[in-house]
This record gives sequence, structure tokens and C-alpha cells, in this order.
Amino acid sequence: MTALAPPKVPDLAPAPAPEVRRSSYPSAWLAGGSLGAVVLLALMPEIISQGGLVVLLNFFILLTMATMWNLLAGYAGMVSIGQQAFVGLGGYSVVVLAVNGLNPLASIPLAAVIPALVALPISYLVFRLRGGYFAIATWVVADTAELVISSVTALGGGTGHPVPGLGSLSPRTFGDVTYWLSLGVAVLALAVTYGLLRSRLGLVLAAVRDDEVGARSAGARVMQARRIVFVVAALGCGAAGALLAVSQLQVQPGSIFSVQWAAEMIFVTMIGGMGTIEGPILGTVLFFVLQQNLASQGAWYLVILGSVAVVVAIWAPKGIWGFVSSRLKFQLFPVGYLLGGRGSTGRRR
Amino acid sequence: MAPLLELNHVTKRFGQVVVARDVSFTIEDGAAVGIVGPNGAGKTTLFGVMSGDLRADSGQVRLAGRDVTRLDAAERTRLGIGRTYQVPRPFSGMTVFENLLVAAQQGGERRGAASHSLAASALERARLSERANLRAGQLGLLDRKRLELARALATRPRVLLLDEVAGGLTEPEVREVVGIVRETLAEGVAVVWIEHVVRALLASVERLMCLADGAVIGDGEPREVLSSAAVREVYLGSEAAFEAAS
Ligand SMILES: Nc1ncnc2c1ncn2[C@@H]1O[C@H](COP(=O)(O)OP(=O)(O)OP(=O)(O)O)[C@@H](O)[C@H]1O
Ligand SMILES: [Mg+2]
Repeated sequence: MTALAPPKVPDLAPAPAPEVRRSSYPSAWLAGGSLGAVVLLALMPEIISQGGLVVLLNFFILLTMATMWNLLAGYAGMVSIGQQAFVGLGGYSVVVLAVNGLNPLASIPLAAVIPALVALPISYLVFRLRGGYFAIATWVVADTAELVISSVTALGGGTGHPVPGLGSLSPRTFGDVTYWLSLGVAVLALAVTYGLLRSRLGLVLAAVRDDEVGARSAGARVMQARRIVFVVAALGCGAAGALLAVSQLQVQPGSIFSVQWAAEMIFVTMIGGMGTIEGPILGTVLFFVLQQNLASQGAWYLVILGSVAVVVAIWAPKGIWGFVSSRLKFQLFPVGYLLGGRGSTGRRR
Repeated sequence: MAPLLELNHVTKRFGQVVVARDVSFTIEDGAAVGIVGPNGAGKTTLFGVMSGDLRADSGQVRLAGRDVTRLDAAERTRLGIGRTYQVPRPFSGMTVFENLLVAAQQGGERRGAASHSLAASALERARLSERANLRAGQLGLLDRKRLELARALATRPRVLLLDEVAGGLTEPEVREVVGIVRETLAEGVAVVWIEHVVRALLASVERLMCLADGAVIGDGEPREVLSSAAVREVYLGSEAAFEAAS
């Protein structure tokens, strides 16, 4: 890029590297707490029933999807309603790989990479549109993906396809292993998201959120930043889809490409708090608590779900976590920078 | 050697309104140039064309001989065109230091500790050290203007485009901004400064351009430009320019 231009003027005044802090102690304690929580969750197969494990497995799958949607919409401003495209492609990738002899459990990482690779060219298509048009475009992409996949007879067409190669495992082992995989994927999704937000890319996303023109003028390559996020979100949703396929032992285009996934990830993120790492976690917990206790109530379940959404939208537009953290002035996952030895200690991000 | 910044026959329209009419000029390396002109003359628009925020309808922008007309604002910043905005555009939710860090890492293309010290030196240059950890949204007007300047400086510009960084400030505050600009010039950075506060320009620049209705109607030694017939005509009825020039 700079080949033609002569070197820039050197840095202003030769300043010594300042002391810059990234984190604070309360959060360090809570990071320890989250580690403890992960260890406890990893021990769950020893504690609860197989049925309970399946509930938790689905919890982690939704948490992964919501975390990815939050990264897309909450941090990079891309409101997608078509993430089910990548969920479905992840699920079908497991089938294709398994049919070709790969162990489905071992194939999950590869099955997640395939949707991410597909997302790259798709980004060039949908990034031409903004706002509502972008959202619609992603939905069209998802519907197209479903149509294409369900027209492939080798993949079972509209009726779907079983995931072969899982028969040799005992039900107990299968339940435990799929549970651990889903926990691992969710933890990874959260860790990658947190890592991205603390990186230079995260700083760019925060700047773009505040003022896109200003960010470009500061040298930020906004399109590139969005593209990275879009691909990462496809990777995460692909992993979630792969887990769905493995845990359900089959894929069916109508359900794995269902817009229901988009609806759930959006609901959970909005309720918990968009643009915070904590939000989707809280939202997914609430969603599962409601679902476990009320799903038998039929229509009432949906009424209550809708009411929760309305109440949060009106009284806590930044979600439950936004409501809590703005009062406590506290964050579990700080991403900000603090310059040492200078002035006041403003609010941390 | 090619001039640092070069505009060749730039024309810019908004709908039917022509805001830049076939504008051509060059800025030499390390130059200090002021731009004056009545409201709506097209000064800010010209900055937009130079910085890449706006696309010219025709004409060319060159940086050190390289055609950058088709490059977007981020790429031009990385090549060395820094700018401030007339209405400051802080990243309000981020601290002052983080605002500068974005510029140092992206426009300035510095990483890790090098980006920290680049941001810190921009902070000091703009007299913002006391505000480092304050949220940019909490800053007053003077500090917002300082932040605009600092953020542009943190991109390591070769030419700095300042759009009314002294507008709305008190006399001592204006003097302080002049000091910052002079220090920047002393480092070899070229400065192009749009300002209605002519006193500030006269204290800093060696060349003055006057823009009216999308065209350059005066260009040269500042006091000569201000006293030329064409410029007096444009400023008829407005005292500001002349009280300062005389
Ligand atoms: N985005 C836009 N769309 C339409 N018209 C615009 C736009 N931006 C500027 N204009 C018009 O172009 C003309 C020049 O505007 P510009 O902001 O460049 O003037 P200026 O010389 O910077 O004025 P000022 O001294 O008030 O800042 C004005 O008439 C303005 O209304
Ligand atoms: Mg202007």
C-alpha cells in the first residue's frame, strides 16, 4: 500500500512508552469465578441426569449462536436475520464429512470452517446493503441455502439425512461427549469474542459504533473489520449447527435452516443486553428458565415470552445486563485501556 | 519532486449546486497554508475531497505524486492525510486515550507499546494529558477541539487539514491552539487551516487562500490576499477579516 509514498513523518515527540493498564482487580476475581464455573459445568455429567445434560447442551448451542449474533449486531452494527444459513451449513457439513468416513465428533471444527469459507464471498454480496436491506439480504441468503441443500437428493432432499458413524458409542458416552463439546464450543465462542473485543479490531468496532466517519478518518478499515466479524460469526454459528446435527443424530433442512434460530438468538441477546458480553449469557439463562418452567403451558408460554420482550424493550432498552451494569458501574469483561499516572480515572469500558 | 498535495481541476456538486468549480492548487511539503472564505464558500467540501470523505465529480487528488482520487478516507489517512472536523466527531463512549489509540493503531499503523507512546505523545501535544481517562463524550468544546487535533496527529500525518479548530474559542484558548499548530509545523508536517479567526491564521501561516462560491479568488502572501480587491469584495460588510489584517 505504501510502496509509492515516501515514509511518513516520524512520531511526534519521542515519548517513553506509557504505562497502560487493561484490566482491574474485581474483574480478575470474576475471571477466576468464571473459570470455576466452567470447571463445575465440566463436571456436570457426574452430577445430573442425561436428560439434564441435553437441556444444558441446547443451552450452550443457543448461547454460542447468541454470542455470535451479539458480535455481529451489538458490536459491528450488522443486524442479520439470516445466521441460520451458517447453522444449517455447519450441520450439513457434518453429514457430508461423516458420509465420507470422518468421525462426526472429530469433524466439528472442520464442519464449522466450511460455513465460514462460504461466508466470505457472501459478505461481498450482502455488504453492498445497509440496515434493513442488509437484514433482508441475509434472510434471502439463508432461504437460498435451504433451497439449494434440500434439492440435493444425495443429502436426502427435503426429508434430511441421518448422521452416520455414531452407532458404536454407548448412549452414556455419547451424551457426555456431546455435552462437553457443546460446553467447549460455547466457552470458545465467548473467549474468541472477548479476545476480538480486546484486540485492535475491538477498538475499531467501538470507534465505528460511536462515529463511523470519524473512524474512517482515523484510518480504520471499516469494511475489513466488518468482514472479519461476519466470517467469525459464521464460524461460530457453523459450530453450533454442527453440534445440533451431532446431538440430534440427523439433519432436516426445514429445522436446521429455520428462521427460529435467528429469532431465538435475537430475542436472547436483546433481553440480556446487546453489545455486552454478559448480555447473551444472561438472556440465554432467562430463556431456558422460562422454557423449562412454562413450555407445558402452551400458548401462555409464548405470551409470557412476548411480555418479557416488551417489558425489557420499554424499561431496559439496553437489556437486563445494561440495566444492572449501568447502576453498579461494573463489568465482568472489561475491554478498555487506562493510561497510568494521569488525571482522573474515567469510566471503564 | 512532486508537491505533497495536489488538486487538479476538482469539481464537486451537490445535486444542481456546484460547490467546487474546477479547483486546482498544490501544497508543498511542510507548508503552512490558511484558507478563508465566507460561509458556504465550499471550504469544508474541499477538505472532504482531499481527505476522501467526499468523491469529486471530476478532477484528481494527488499525494506526493501518487493519484489517490479513488482511495477511501482510511487509506488516505494511512498515506498521510490527516484531518479534523468542523463539528468534532469524538468517539464519545471511549476514553480520550482510546480515541487516540484507534488513530495511532489504524492511521498511524503502530502496534503494541509503539501505539501507546504515539497516542501518548499526541495527548501531550494537544494538552490533553489530564483528560486521558475521561470519556470523550464528557469533554467541553475546547477539549473536543483538542481531541480532534490530537486524533489527527496520532495518525502521523504528512499534511494536516484543520477545519476551524479555533472556532468558538476564547482568545487565550485560540493562542494555545496556535501554539499546538506551530509545534506541529516545526516538525515538518504541512498544515492547511480553514479558519474564520483570521488573527490565528496570520500568526501561523505564510500563505493564504481565499475561497468564494467554490473558486479560489486569492492565493499568496496573507496580508496581500486580504487586501486584494476581489477578497475585499467578498467580505464586504463583514469586518472580521479586516480588523485583523490591519
Ligand atoms: N452533504 C451536502 N449535501 C448538500 N449540500 C451540501 C452538503 N455539504 C455542503 N453542502 C452545501 O455546499 C455548500 C458549501 O458547504 P461547505 O460546508 O463546504 O462550506 P464552508 O465554506 O465550509 O462553510 P462554513 O464556513 O460555514 O463552514 C453550502 O452551500 C452547503 O449548504
Ligand atoms: Mg466549513
